[in-house]
Amino acid sequence: MKKVVSVSLGSSKRDHKVQVELLGERFEISRVGTDGDFNRALEVLRELDGKVDAIGLGGIDVYLFVRQKRYAIHDGLKLMEAVKVTPVVDGSGLKNTLEREVVRILAENTGLLKKGMKVLMVSSLDRFGMAEALYDMGCDMTYGDLIFTMGMPYPVKTVAELEDIANRTLPELVKMPFQMLYPTGKKQESQDEAKVQKFAGYYYEAEVIAGDFHLIRRFMPAGMSGQTILTNTTTRDDIEFLREKGAGTLVTTTPEFEGRSFGTNVIEAAMVAILGKTLERIDAEDYLELLRNLNFQPRILRLT
Amino acid sequence: MATHLEITESLKVFQDNYNSNQRLKIMNRDWNRVVVIKATDIESLNTFIVQDGLVSIKEGALENPDLTVISDSETLADMFYGDITPTEPYNNGTLRIIGQEDDIIRLDFISLMIWGE
Repeated sequence: MKKVVSVSLGSSKRDHKVQVELLGERFEISRVGTDGDFNRALEVLRELDGKVDAIGLGGIDVYLFVRQKRYAIHDGLKLMEAVKVTPVVDGSGLKNTLEREVVRILAENTGLLKKGMKVLMVSSLDRFGMAEALYDMGCDMTYGDLIFTMGMPYPVKTVAELEDIANRTLPELVKMPFQMLYPTGKKQESQDEAKVQKFAGYYYEAEVIAGDFHLIRRFMPAGMSGQTILTNTTTRDDIEFLREKGAGTLVTTTPEFEGRSFGTNVIEAAMVAILGKTLERIDAEDYLELLRNLNFQPRILRLT
Repeated sequence: MATHLEITESLKVFQDNYNSNQRLKIMNRDWNRVVVIKATDIESLNTFIVQDGLVSIKEGALENPDLTVISDSETLADMFYGDITPTEPYNNGTLRIIGQEDDIIRLDFISLMIWGE
């Protein structure tokens, strides 16, 4: 049996272990959350190195792709570099491929995404593939990175402006301590009440809310009116949370195992274990072919 | 070591660049903040005020600032002239910023929008 472990800076409350069969091969997939403790994450990674088939890094991005440019978050690189033998991925390679594909599938095969729809991406620089795919299909986009990261009421409306801001700021922002840019550990379990109140209007106006679930959750107000949530990692509790807030449909880009969808880092790690190639030799086409062979489809769950 | 005059001049350059950037003025139209700039190795205090999207500079320190930026004179002058970014001195402890985390990121962001690629 192949073993894949996701080591996350997120809450240990979301830890779990499942066994699944992928393309005829048994996998044990587990998650170890370190509650935002960076040094504990380093320890766990060193312990696992050489003992499992692939490792996913969760709760932190290592690489941010902005078209052809790739920016590396320094704290994420430190974690990745702690692993010397086992292949380790952060999900960004797959995310860039899978989420474009999910947008295409939803637009072609469901009524959940249509040209002209108002879409709020709570954060987009961590999933530029989705951001670009939604814009290209003609959605009325609001990229909320500045709104929700630093409280700046400035909705970015085009991919061109998003790219311009990214290229000016990311070369330096990636050097900042990661917890200043993204909620880790206990922060993931709470809402930022001040921003929930101040920026609720962006949620209410949107027909679709897309992006990282921790961020969607952190800023979502009560009284939503049936909006579609397009995200990846959710648990049963998260689904209840969305129901209580009034969301209408949940679409997760990664498949569900035992009641929860896994982060792209986990799925990418499993794919790396299946492919058996070195990371340098894996490209987007490998992931696309594997997704087709695995018949991966977005999961659509009606919440009302 | 930079002089107080050099720090003040560097802040004026920063102010001019900020105030001629229409996008930054829109982005910060509701971010009214008082930022005190303090050197650790010479007597130098300045106040940088963001009000209704515009930046103004005053010599000396206003009371109850939202943010206090503290570093050696050379780092302060280099930073506001755009010769260095705040990230590295902030990460290695040469630069200290006292204030809310969102405001600290915003200040860094403003600097990068002016001097970034």
